[in-house]
Amino acid sequence: MPGHAFRFLIAIVAFAVLARLPVGLDAAFQFDAALALIWGFGILSLVLLTGYAGQVSLCQATFAGVGAYGAGMVVASLHGGYLLGIVVGVLFATVLGVLVGLPALRLHGITLAIVTLGIALVFDKYVFQDHLFDWFTGGTGGWQVTTASILGIPVDSSKHLLAAYDVLLALFCACAVLMVNLHQSGAGRRLRAIRDSEVAASTMGVNLTRYKLLAFALSAGMAGLGGSFYPLVTGSVSPQPFWVFTSLQLAAIGVLMGIRYVPAAALGGLFMAVVPDVLTRYGHGTFMGRAYDISYDWFQLGVGVLLVLQLILLPDGVWGDLRARTAPLSALFRARRLKEVKPA
Amino acid sequence: MTMLRVRDVGVKFGGLTALHSVSLDLNRGEILGLIGPNGAGKTTLFNCISGLVQPTSGSIFFEGRSLRFVPPHERARRGIARTFQNLQLWESMTVLENLELPMDAVGKRNTFSDALGLPMSHYAERSARERARAILHVLDLDGFGSRLAGDLPAGIQRRVELGRALAMRPKLVLLDEPAAGLDASETEKLAGLLRKVRDRFHVSMLLVDHDMSLVMKVCDYIYVLDFGQVLARGRAAEVRADRKVIAAYLGEATPELAESTEEEPSVTNSSPESLPAPRTEPGEVLLEVTGLAAGYGHLEVIRDVNLTVRAGEVVACIGANGAGKTTTLRAISGVIHARSGRVTFGGRNITGASPERIARVGLAHIPEGRGLFPNMSVEDTLRLASDTTGHRVPLTAAYDTFPRLRQRRHQAVGTLSGGEQQMVAMARAVLAKPRLLMIDEMSQGLAPTIVRQLFRMIDVFRGQGIAVLLVEQFVESALQVADRAYIFEHGTIAHEAPAEELRRDRAVISGAYLGTAAPVESTAIEVAANGSGNGHKKHPELMEILSMRVPPEVKRALEERAEKEGRPVGALALELLEEVKR
Repeated sequence: MPGHAFRFLIAIVAFAVLARLPVGLDAAFQFDAALALIWGFGILSLVLLTGYAGQVSLCQATFAGVGAYGAGMVVASLHGGYLLGIVVGVLFATVLGVLVGLPALRLHGITLAIVTLGIALVFDKYVFQDHLFDWFTGGTGGWQVTTASILGIPVDSSKHLLAAYDVLLALFCACAVLMVNLHQSGAGRRLRAIRDSEVAASTMGVNLTRYKLLAFALSAGMAGLGGSFYPLVTGSVSPQPFWVFTSLQLAAIGVLMGIRYVPAAALGGLFMAVVPDVLTRYGHGTFMGRAYDISYDWFQLGVGVLLVLQLILLPDGVWGDLRARTAPLSALFRARRLKEVKPA
Repeated sequence: MTMLRVRDVGVKFGGLTALHSVSLDLNRGEILGLIGPNGAGKTTLFNCISGLVQPTSGSIFFEGRSLRFVPPHERARRGIARTFQNLQLWESMTVLENLELPMDAVGKRNTFSDALGLPMSHYAERSARERARAILHVLDLDGFGSRLAGDLPAGIQRRVELGRALAMRPKLVLLDEPAAGLDASETEKLAGLLRKVRDRFHVSMLLVDHDMSLVMKVCDYIYVLDFGQVLARGRAAEVRADRKVIAAYLGEATPELAESTEEEPSVTNSSPESLPAPRTEPGEVLLEVTGLAAGYGHLEVIRDVNLTVRAGEVVACIGANGAGKTTTLRAISGVIHARSGRVTFGGRNITGASPERIARVGLAHIPEGRGLFPNMSVEDTLRLASDTTGHRVPLTAAYDTFPRLRQRRHQAVGTLSGGEQQMVAMARAVLAKPRLLMIDEMSQGLAPTIVRQLFRMIDVFRGQGIAVLLVEQFVESALQVADRAYIFEHGTIAHEAPAEELRRDRAVISGAYLGTAAPVESTAIEVAANGSGNGHKKHPELMEILSMRVPPEVKRALEERAEKEGRPVGALALELLEEVKR
């Protein structure tokens, strides 16, 4: 397992490479890149919650949505700085995460999935789309975040898309490193212990209440962090991106890519943002004299088919099985490291 | 000094009283044994002490402080660690990680310092790893540190669980059946290990196990539970001599088991001696297996197995652990695919047919572990038999055969005792009116009294014209009930003989277990066995060996030594046993 310094180095290199990637592409692809990171945060939050701690959640998009609306409200309604908006968005999402975590203290597996799905539905229908919460959601039109400022510097989503992308990317890389650190550390082990056997975890000194709530809080906060950038990237907030189906899609693509692995979050985010856009933009035309039209619906279908194929062919997810298959290669790499660890 | 004080603890699950009123004292540095028949409440008491179950009445004190309302993790921090009967390792973590986790329950680190990789986390991490390695070394698990816990065999997993319990620097370790699934030599090793652990780590232990030899050897003091109450307590010798204990736990004990053959014929009217040799006219061939081979993955477990079962016959399959008995049954009933060979049942070729089709033609299979659904009631479980027969079957027949189940008809199967669960499994199988019933390890984990009742049921089945193919650990009992027996060795059948012959001539079996079943050796053993009277009565240790707890390495070593000294294996084994006794 690479050490802390090595992980940090990888993150920096990844940041440097990925930051260059959308430069020069057209605005739509730059937008996709930023969106990929927002959904990447959503899947990363699932890696922590489901992959590490074994808690099922089908309301991660709701957490992201609360983050987005929190930020939108602060910026558009209260005219605060965007930084404050992010803080408020993350805070809102974290608080909601703890609330959702409370039933999880008693529930497991499918029942927990249903409860979180219910929460996603309730937020979709009765919070994001309800007049009662206009103060929070900005009504049916949502918040228009055309003029925002970070630390006094004015930013505009149309002009500063790449800058927003870079900030998001830096945050994502940082979170990814923290997540990998966590996995190898005591706290991460305790979370994984809860996943494998709660009974054993509690009798070995793991405070279940504390660690389950912590997992939900951190996870929701992380999803909210991604979501709070949404108004900055798109210039507005609306209920549609954070509806129930997005939550399901986050879970499905998370599992598809390998819910236990941090890099799977980046892959998943990219997949979720870019593929539908490519399909809608290039999915129609004529081929050999016949007109064809591949719409967004095909994406949903594709995800379903891929998920079935993955469960058969790559049970540990795309990244997980990729890793396992290249293990002989990386073993060569690690052979020396292992030797020095062995006790005399 | 009293470390753990349990006072009048009672536990009720709904209407079921698991513990009546149990009091118990454990002193510092002591290994306390807790024994009792299945369903006596041992694991429930464990769960009360470790906090997984809240007692309905009574109180528990640890080091003078009450444990009332103290959550499990807090109890762990106060120094109570435990292992689990059904292994609860964190399977997707490595062995080292399993051990490191309980260590940092105390310490100045938290999620944020861990995620940031701050120095204190690093330091704690390093020292945890060192300590984990030290513990693995003591437990003789040196090579397993980086293996995934879930990939290890059960025996090793048990030791890792012990290691994990020790990792959190406990003052008291609760061991729930640490010897389950271990063979005689491994159990022997475990006994030594437990004492070593007590001395090295300065822990007290509370030990639950079915293996009396382990409990008697290791424990300083023993409590006997029965029906949720303390039946007796004392030192090993006292408990062993206690009549109540013998009656409750050991059943009417071994002597009577042997005597029953001579004295009980009129009662059951089915004891071996009461009926002349072939108890039933050998009917037509019901099951015929020829050249059967099967296995798992790239491992071939059985090869060239040939056996027949005639209608109305009881046939036992005996042999050491891993000899291929269970695999044979599974290949016959279609649970796993036969790689080659042929299985015919009632004249029909059923090789490669699906398990449910095989069940429909009248071949019932009760798998190891009974294959029951814990949340289903007894009645619902029995009704499932209707699915196999295709029409509604009346349950009265089953309740008449097993009156105990009638009382418990609305209870969930999972809450029944092991013996009752086995009854449910047997009743369910018989309701479908099978022509052949295959039972795998019927008596596993059950107290001898229950086992005897179950064996009597097999006789009843025979009376109903159901043929039975048994895989059994209790060789003696199996041979008493069976007409014929197949002795499995290394994945194939080494020997076949009428049960009566095997009963009389124990040499054949011991030969099969201790070496090859050669006649020269068998006479030698017979002489040795006869010299000391009934081998079964006088040599419980030998019976232990005979009832298959010899691992292949020991067997091989015995064979090698016997060859070197030019003596029969059986005789050598007996001699060694005598030596050990002295």
